[in-house]
Amino acid sequence: MQKLFLAVDRLSTFVGRAFAWSIVLLTLLVSWEVFSRYVLNHPHPWALDAQIMLYGILFMMAGAYTLAHQGHVRGDILYSGFSPRGQAAVDLVLFVLFYLPGVLALTWAGWTYANESLAIRENTFSPDPLPLYPFKFVIPIAGALLLLQGVVEILRCVVCLLDGAWPPRQKDVEEIDVEELKAMVREDGEAEVKP
Amino acid sequence: MRKEMAFGFGLMAAILLLIAVFTPWSELNNGHIGMIMLALIVVAMMMGFPSAFTLMGMGVLFTWYAYHSVDPGTAVQQTLDLAVQRTYGVMTSDVLIAVPLFLFMGYLVERANLIKKLFHAIHIATSRIPGSLAVATLVTCAIFATATGIVGAVVTLMGLLALPAMLRAGYDTKLSSGVIAAGGTLGILIPPSIMLIVYGATAGESVVRLYAGAFFPGLLLAGLYIVYVIIVAKLKPHWAPRLSDAGRRVQLPAHLERLAARHSRFALPALLRAVVAPDADVPRRLAARELLLAALPALVFVFVMGLAWNALTQPQEIHDTSGLVEMGFDSGTATPDRIDENVGPGISEPPEEAAAPAIAEPPPLEALPALAEPPALETPPAEASPQALSEPPPLESPPALAEPPVDDTHALQPPPLETLEDAAAEADATARTPAPAAFWETLAIGFAALAVLYFFLSFPRLVVFRMLLTSFFPLAVMILGVLGSIVFGLATPSEAAAIGALGGFILAAVYLAMDQPREVRRRYWPIWLVLWAVFLSSIVWFVLYKAQITRHPVPHVLGWISMSAFLLWAVLACWHAKLIPMLRESVFLTAKTSTMVCWLFVGASIYSAAFSLLGGHQVVEEWVLSLNMTPIQFLILTQLIIFLLGWPLEWTEIIVIFMPIFVPLLPHFGIDPLFFGILVALNLQTSFLSPPMAPSAFYLKGVAPPNVTLAQIFLGSMPFLGIVIVAMAMLYIWPEIALWLPAKLYN
Repeated sequence: MQKLFLAVDRLSTFVGRAFAWSIVLLTLLVSWEVFSRYVLNHPHPWALDAQIMLYGILFMMAGAYTLAHQGHVRGDILYSGFSPRGQAAVDLVLFVLFYLPGVLALTWAGWTYANESLAIRENTFSPDPLPLYPFKFVIPIAGALLLLQGVVEILRCVVCLLDGAWPPRQKDVEEIDVEELKAMVREDGEAEVKP
Repeated sequence: MRKEMAFGFGLMAAILLLIAVFTPWSELNNGHIGMIMLALIVVAMMMGFPSAFTLMGMGVLFTWYAYHSVDPGTAVQQTLDLAVQRTYGVMTSDVLIAVPLFLFMGYLVERANLIKKLFHAIHIATSRIPGSLAVATLVTCAIFATATGIVGAVVTLMGLLALPAMLRAGYDTKLSSGVIAAGGTLGILIPPSIMLIVYGATAGESVVRLYAGAFFPGLLLAGLYIVYVIIVAKLKPHWAPRLSDAGRRVQLPAHLERLAARHSRFALPALLRAVVAPDADVPRRLAARELLLAALPALVFVFVMGLAWNALTQPQEIHDTSGLVEMGFDSGTATPDRIDENVGPGISEPPEEAAAPAIAEPPPLEALPALAEPPALETPPAEASPQALSEPPPLESPPALAEPPVDDTHALQPPPLETLEDAAAEADATARTPAPAAFWETLAIGFAALAVLYFFLSFPRLVVFRMLLTSFFPLAVMILGVLGSIVFGLATPSEAAAIGALGGFILAAVYLAMDQPREVRRRYWPIWLVLWAVFLSSIVWFVLYKAQITRHPVPHVLGWISMSAFLLWAVLACWHAKLIPMLRESVFLTAKTSTMVCWLFVGASIYSAAFSLLGGHQVVEEWVLSLNMTPIQFLILTQLIIFLLGWPLEWTEIIVIFMPIFVPLLPHFGIDPLFFGILVALNLQTSFLSPPMAPSAFYLKGVAPPNVTLAQIFLGSMPFLGIVIVAMAMLYIWPEIALWLPAKLYN
């Protein structure tokens, strides 16, 4: 069971991280277009479409990754006070009640939506059109990944309800890594402010 | 913990009770269901399930219910269509695209490892002010939080850096922790901030105008914080004791010590003499370097004024340019934002078809950066020139000042944009227009300021200046560059954010390189310089072209070579300065945080669609209008609701759920959505500070010494909460604080 959880986590993480690099591409693309448009006076009509696609792909494909590492914001006021069993019970009910309908709808409808776009070989509305249907296929793919990760999260809740403790997760980069920030501040004492 | 739980359960029970009491159970219609849904979302969110999916799930279920009540046959299909179209709408939002870019910039700057230098420099620079450590903390927080926008990181870092320093200096625990908790949250208010993008996307308000509007209120709040700290330090010196003289003295490097001893306390003449007549102690190279540093403000001023003079006195160009500024504003800034109104989740009914991403065409060529000329173009040339010229031109200005005029004889051509007018322009493009009086006045004031500056520039101050130059100015220039290009309509927020992210990368590369030993650095330094020279060549060319000193636009070949040089440098820098781990972390964190924000938008977008399908908006509207409130009552009510919601919820959730409900009501009361947005942004500062859910306080508690209790941090934040409310009142009494700049720029 645990192996399955971690394997799915790893898949979500791998996909999410791979697409996370599109932020670098996005930065370079926007900067390049700025340079080209302003300095060289040579704009590209397709650049804005490509930028928007990169942004859309970035956050859609990282959805499961963020879920696997509990990066989605949650109301902490009661949750943090519950015992693990209580947390798992709440999560289990709400995963089934809220998560599954939403994500299923997204995956299912996204699939037809993207296929409709594929059928007409839809392009962006621009003098330099880009194909739009691959971008629309991102919706069902991201939905399927979320669904897979969601099933694993549901199973985790069940395991936690049985064991009374959350199954372990993999480590990931944290926004507030106190140890790392400490190292950043204390690395060398030379600039320490003396009272 | 117990107290928070009791509070949470109490709130939930209260809401459920309100539902039970106020719902007319016998004659239930869809509008009532909508209201129940609105109340339930607060309850559901407090349960602790990820908010994005809570919103999405409730949205889908209630959408299905709404469609089902009309036509059961097609309800499922319609629900599915709506969900996917709303998602696609968020995926193609050209406002939200700036969110990951700004986040990326923030994470890169955060990891550039400059906060320590920044705090130290600002501390030394402010050491004469009462409560100097607290003031320095506030200033550092404000700047760093503005540049990174990541509240948690700023509070944590300052908790590690400034809190121990303040406690060691004998500062009051409550004051010290309040300063950090409040200062760190400034980052979500002072633009460029993510919160204003999120508000803009939700409320369908232009992000550009929001940035322009939030600038002065942000400064106002930071200023009020600082004033409060200074007053406290004056009134209760034992809360913020003065630093000992030893703590305030600036350590001079040996060569400066010697120069200071030998010559006067005036740094500039002493350095000049040291360069002209060097001696064994202080080699000429060293002195020259210091002199260059000291002369930097004057050089920059002269350079900028030279460019301005050149631009102002271009013959023939004046009237065209002022017209073009207007056009640039229309196309460059307003268009993308207007289009967004179709895309953003804040609209009241679900769209038939999600807006295609391609609508926003790139701004036309006219929107070029150089068109933002200084104002007062219409002012008739005044007689001021001779007298202003006779101002004593202090110091080393002549060489730089002479530069622009020398080259201008062959630069009188207007840019190729106005091809039709070329002939006319060349016909009488012989004499320069005299510069307007305002220019000479600015010049005179600037020189006077420089004279005062150099009069007070002693050697210790020169050292402080150098410290600020290596920590404060890069960040300040970056922030002002990003913000300025957005506010003046030169770039869209996403363009400015991308350049800002590159700037963050450059900062990180340079600072991490500086941390390496000198021998290591020396190995790759020449390569960096060459690549940068190649890159800057086309930028310099471009500036010269825009200033009409040369009439040849930048050749494409050179542009490509420059871009390749920059890319090569970026790759090499990753390797030389060992940037890969930092870059990896920033990339992954950017992905996670933007995913969090954007999925919240997906959920909220579906949710608000369900709300309006159920007719919730009409119910709210009828109810609010039936209360017969005055605008001020309405404002107070909404702000109070937002303030109270800030206790259990986070700002992202409050904005994406409640702004779509409040903003449509604003026209009834004649309230500007821009003004409302700034009030909300101020108000949400409190959501970080007000117990029981105060992220700022918890971050600080996480790194504070054990003897600092959470209660002390909360108590310490209270005065700052009060100041936020004072600032909101000031903003209400003088709305010009927010509205003046947008009105000046865009009307």
